[in-house]
Amino acid sequence: MSGGFLEYVPGDSFLHRMNPVAKLASAFLLVIACFATSSPALLALVLVVDAVLAVRCDMVAQTIGLAKAVCAFSLLLALIALLFTPAGDVLVALPWGYVGTGSIAAAVLIVVRLVACAVPLFLVFYVTKLTDMANAIVKVLHVPYKYAFAFTSTVRFIPVFMNDMAGIMEAQTARGVEFDGSLAKRIRLMVPLCVPLLVSSVRKTNSAAIAAEVRGFNLRTRESGYKDYPFAAFDVAAMAASAALVAAAVALGLLL
Amino acid sequence: MIEISNLTFRYREGSAPVVRDVSLTIPDGTFVGITGAAGSGKSTLTYAFNGIIPHCYPGDFYGSVVIDGLDTCTASLTDVSRLVGSVCQDIESQMVSSVVEDEILYGLENFGVPKDEIGRRVTEALDAMGIADLRHRSIAGLSGGQKQKVAVASVIALEPRVLVLDEPTAELDPASSVGVFELLRRYAREHGTTVIVVEQKIALLSEYADELLIVDGGTVVFRGAPAEVLAHSDELLEIGVNCPRATSLVNRLRRRGLFAGPAARNVDEAVAACKEVLA
Amino acid sequence: MIEFKNVSASYAEELPVLRDVSFAVPDGDFVAFVGTNGAGKSTTMRLVNGLLKPTSGEVLIDGASTRDLKTSELAAKVGFLFQNPDRQICCETVREELLFGFKVLGRADAEAEARVDAMVERFGFDPDAEPFLLNRGTRQLLALASIIVLEPPVVVLDEPTTGLDFRECGKVMDAIAAMNARGTTVIMVCHDMEVVGDYARRVIAMTAGQVVADGPTFEVLRDRAVLERAHLLPPQVVGVSMRLGEELGVCAGTPVAAANTLDEMERALADAAGAGAARGEGAR
Repeated sequence: MSGGFLEYVPGDSFLHRMNPVAKLASAFLLVIACFATSSPALLALVLVVDAVLAVRCDMVAQTIGLAKAVCAFSLLLALIALLFTPAGDVLVALPWGYVGTGSIAAAVLIVVRLVACAVPLFLVFYVTKLTDMANAIVKVLHVPYKYAFAFTSTVRFIPVFMNDMAGIMEAQTARGVEFDGSLAKRIRLMVPLCVPLLVSSVRKTNSAAIAAEVRGFNLRTRESGYKDYPFAAFDVAAMAASAALVAAAVALGLLL
Repeated sequence: MIEISNLTFRYREGSAPVVRDVSLTIPDGTFVGITGAAGSGKSTLTYAFNGIIPHCYPGDFYGSVVIDGLDTCTASLTDVSRLVGSVCQDIESQMVSSVVEDEILYGLENFGVPKDEIGRRVTEALDAMGIADLRHRSIAGLSGGQKQKVAVASVIALEPRVLVLDEPTAELDPASSVGVFELLRRYAREHGTTVIVVEQKIALLSEYADELLIVDGGTVVFRGAPAEVLAHSDELLEIGVNCPRATSLVNRLRRRGLFAGPAARNVDEAVAACKEVLA
Repeated sequence: MIEFKNVSASYAEELPVLRDVSFAVPDGDFVAFVGTNGAGKSTTMRLVNGLLKPTSGEVLIDGASTRDLKTSELAAKVGFLFQNPDRQICCETVREELLFGFKVLGRADAEAEARVDAMVERFGFDPDAEPFLLNRGTRQLLALASIIVLEPPVVVLDEPTTGLDFRECGKVMDAIAAMNARGTTVIMVCHDMEVVGDYARRVIAMTAGQVVADGPTFEVLRDRAVLERAHLLPPQVVGVSMRLGEELGVCAGTPVAAANTLDEMERALADAAGAGAARGEGAR
């Protein structure tokens, strides 16, 4: 079973076993570190950490796929940076400025930074059961259960809706709609399909709400969870290491 | 015991009542099968048993539904749910977890079942549905039949007095459908649980239910043991309910005066009837 | 003519769902695929109209491989009714939905309009109704109508009667049978053995991604070994007939042991009982 997008992948790597809150906190700290620094060395370090995590969770293929997707998305931002950040030695003169060596560096930095910070966040979703994440957030961070449930339901429905969309597109392909083509054409073809998707989403969320209610959703409190989520030594260590990276990022920023 | 008195229900957006003046008493431990044509009101009637009407769908609700002394209209849906477990039709969106064990835990945690009892309940529910081996499996990787069993297990773990199932075999193949009904009947008998199933497949209901309710135009038009109800195959056909073929065969023999016994519910009974005819 | 030549298929990096499947469906045939969920039936259907391409082997439509046919060519040759009509229906009115296929294939002309009108008439649709507000059975009929209005030479149906009541099931299946009578090839997946027995002329039984039996409907459905391997129950009348043939020596070889439909079985039993009664009288 390869599992769908954002669907939990079972396993027992240290990342699987970590406390969900510690995982989330560490991932967010890494995100902050990535955005706080422009140091190539530090970003490279985060990328190495990403790679190690991916290998340890046995998720190399998914991670590479994700990295590619983030690259594609960030290329647009990189292009803007390239054209509108005149810095360094002039390479190409533009009517409003120039593309310089510094512009290229800025563009590359954007791509690397986004990839570096996206990987840990996504890995956390793949190696953490959503129920654990919600329960831990409720127990440890005292977030009201309603919000945690709304959050996990949203994430849980992403693969369901993607599956629905794939089914709808398949049904239209069978009727002769050619989805392979330019992006603009694809989007134009997909817009009318949002109606069936919306109809099925509304039905699904409605029945999910009823199903949760008849299983005592309204009674749930912070104490309800059967499992406890204590912090272990390596949870603290992981958060400390991530925090150290943030500190290093800030320190480097001040020094440079 | 379930007592429905003069129940009438009209959805807010609808003009005509979908359930009309239904009165029923269902003794504890009965396995009830509800069927009828599309639009007959059978689903809405089923929603009356678990409080989904009037609590989840707004509308005009007349009469009363009382389950073990609890009036479902005045009680909260949560309180009704302590007595009545519901397995919805769309099990895919019913699931709240990614792993089987967590799915079973969900309701137990919510209803505050003591922690030292939770372990036993989970194990028993999984065993009752024959899915102990799936405990740590990811739900996304299960077959339709397995998911259905998980959905049922997550509800019977709550040890409800009444179990309501909305078309539990709609997505299943015949072999898995029989499997689900087989487990349901065994569980209900062992625990004295009342089971209410609304189902299109009348052959399954005839085989497994103690009592059949045939709904048409929002009222119960036939009610009784399957053999009694199935004897009316011609009238059933008129309201869009087809009998199992084994039943139709034996009813034709009865009409020809070749057989005088009761209506057949399944192939076994039809074979016995034919043997009698041929003897 | 649809031909499967040693077809294997799998979804992204997973174990093959279909292993070395070969069969041919001549024009005008009515074939039902039966077997448990996960046996590979739906995968076979998706291969037939090229939604899925084989990982090895060849699927040929009138001699052309599905690998070489464009989406629009495939759609014109093979109509596909999905199990869930809501994935197919995407227009705002019934009429537009029926016209949609013509528009996609670039054939929305006066003839198309006429065919749509005829279809509205035939099924008694309200052409201005909003499809999503119709009930489940009518939506299924609409999805079917929007496929058959295009008059494709082949239609593929994935469990066309799931979720329908008896009357709706009859309407859908009668429309399919009428289409078949006019020459359309019908290939369907169906769990309801009564429907299979009533409508299909040929049955292909599958289990674990392989074909275990392929032949005239009742030959396959009367084969105990096949029924067991594919976890199937025969139509009830066939089941009764088989049991009587096996359990009562006197029935073996008689019409009772060969009856496949209610009418056949009723007549066979009445005749046998009549003959028995006559013999009894004669002896007295």
